[in-house]
Amino acid sequence: MKRASGMEGKRARWGWVFVAPGLLFFSLFSWYPIVNAFVTSFTNRKLISLKAPKFVGLQNYVRVLSSEDFWNSARATAVFAVGAFVPLLLLSLLFAALIVSLRGWKRPAQMALYSPAVLSSVVAALIWLVVFDPRGLANQGLNALFGTPGVDRRWLADATMAQVSTIVVYVWKYVGYFTILFVTGMGKIPDAVNEAALIDGAGPFRRFFSITLPLIRPTTVLVSVMILIQCMKTFSTQYLFVQSGAPTGPIEVMTLAIYNTAMRDLAIGRASAMSMLLFAVMLLLSWLQLRASRGGEDAL
Amino acid sequence: MRKPSIPKRPLELAFFVLARLVVAGAAALILVPLAFMLSASFMPASDIVSIPYRWIPDGLRWKNYLQALAGNDGSWLYARNVLNSLVVAGAVAATTVAISASVGYGFAKFRFRGRNLAFMAVMATMMIPFETVMVPLYLVVVRLGFQDSYLGLILPFMASAFGVFLMRQYLLGFPDDIVDAARIDGCSEWRIFRSIVLPSIGPASATLAVLAFRQQWDNLLWPLLVVQREEMKTIPAYIVKFAAEKSADEGAMMAVAVIASLPVFILFITLSKYFLGGSAVFAAGKE
Repeated sequence: MKRASGMEGKRARWGWVFVAPGLLFFSLFSWYPIVNAFVTSFTNRKLISLKAPKFVGLQNYVRVLSSEDFWNSARATAVFAVGAFVPLLLLSLLFAALIVSLRGWKRPAQMALYSPAVLSSVVAALIWLVVFDPRGLANQGLNALFGTPGVDRRWLADATMAQVSTIVVYVWKYVGYFTILFVTGMGKIPDAVNEAALIDGAGPFRRFFSITLPLIRPTTVLVSVMILIQCMKTFSTQYLFVQSGAPTGPIEVMTLAIYNTAMRDLAIGRASAMSMLLFAVMLLLSWLQLRASRGGEDAL
Repeated sequence: MRKPSIPKRPLELAFFVLARLVVAGAAALILVPLAFMLSASFMPASDIVSIPYRWIPDGLRWKNYLQALAGNDGSWLYARNVLNSLVVAGAVAATTVAISASVGYGFAKFRFRGRNLAFMAVMATMMIPFETVMVPLYLVVVRLGFQDSYLGLILPFMASAFGVFLMRQYLLGFPDDIVDAARIDGCSEWRIFRSIVLPSIGPASATLAVLAFRQQWDNLLWPLLVVQREEMKTIPAYIVKFAAEKSADEGAMMAVAVIASLPVFILFITLSKYFLGGSAVFAAGKE
């Protein structure tokens, strides 16, 4: 018996050997920085400063929460997240339902819709930067559609339009990705259910609203939260547009504001406080996701 | 799956036709900007903003590609930056697979005290968005002196909690008998992992490698923080700078975009099943 327990102990040690690199990694690059960010958010730490950072209590939070810039970023992020969320969710649901009904040509259709998701965010933004040129394809297309030759919609110059433009880029890039997730979810619905409904005389809309939608509910909840969380992290499109001359204010989303606070204003303490506030909102959403996915794991 | 016949009921027929039209229309609309990128990359700037836009270029203007690689100032930095992106994304893909496989194997096939707690501690990091830890991470990299280096670019992404999750799930289904048989034959634990477990996790590794590669290919925020020297930049940072320069030519901008997209599109077309697989679901958290 003694030998057996020795074997057990030896094997347990090997278990630790295999997981050790991971534990070291996640302690160093996930746990340490999040604790550090939390602590730093209560100090007046500067990026380039010889003075040791001082504990300042809630000062950073007070200052951030009472600054107009912060609330502008919160507004920009919320507008972007909601503005991208609605079309992303509705379109990806619609496309998925249609693709599932296709049978043949399913794969090419999925690949075509998914292809922008393969691009880097910056490349996607770069293509649209040229498309949004005053004489570019976006104005030309809409003018041809509405019969309004020569109208410039000021995609990157106007405050409202700059927000619309970033949303257009994002929806274009990710609609295929979320469509695939819904296709996966809908693929789990047994064919027999739909066939039975068909025999009973249920039309396509009836089948979608009374069968598909209720059965993929966990997927829908999960995907909704994923879209929201992902939208809150948007950075590349806004950064490229701003660097290329678009107005900053309307599209200075939270990630961009944190980056600017840390790297331009060198105010690490304040940037950390902003990070923690963003984290709190995302954590709330993640918690919702976890709760939702508890029922949703089989659905995906 | 049996082939569907063309439906006979009028409503079903209408839906049958409409579904195909809408999907075809959506696919076409989504592909338009990609086609535009390709077509414009061979045009002089004046043609790109001509009204109406003529989709077929008059000739293949390779000069745009030359300018894309040489840069507006003829420094050839883009070639170097593309190479940097390949190195960083490739290294991250390799280490992510290796570390995740090892950790996932440890969690799936060994019993040890504290295992569940350790597993939870790893899984919980999935909740931490990169954006909230980037500043402290940057300070760590500065302290280690890894600014402007491959190591600095790679280090924070060498493993992923999602990867550990994926590998563990995959290996839970791996038969214990094979591992035990190898042990009885006197195989060392390390050799079991290297010669038996690693070769059998192909699909999970491919999924994870593709995900990790693409994430780093896309990464702008982190390289902006840790890299100041032009020759250490990766593609996204280069693109932002290139597009913001006054002398940037739209044709060359689209050539830059095509070059940046080629490697990922080649991956996508050859490995599309790993891109379109549902298991990529949970990985969406990182932009």
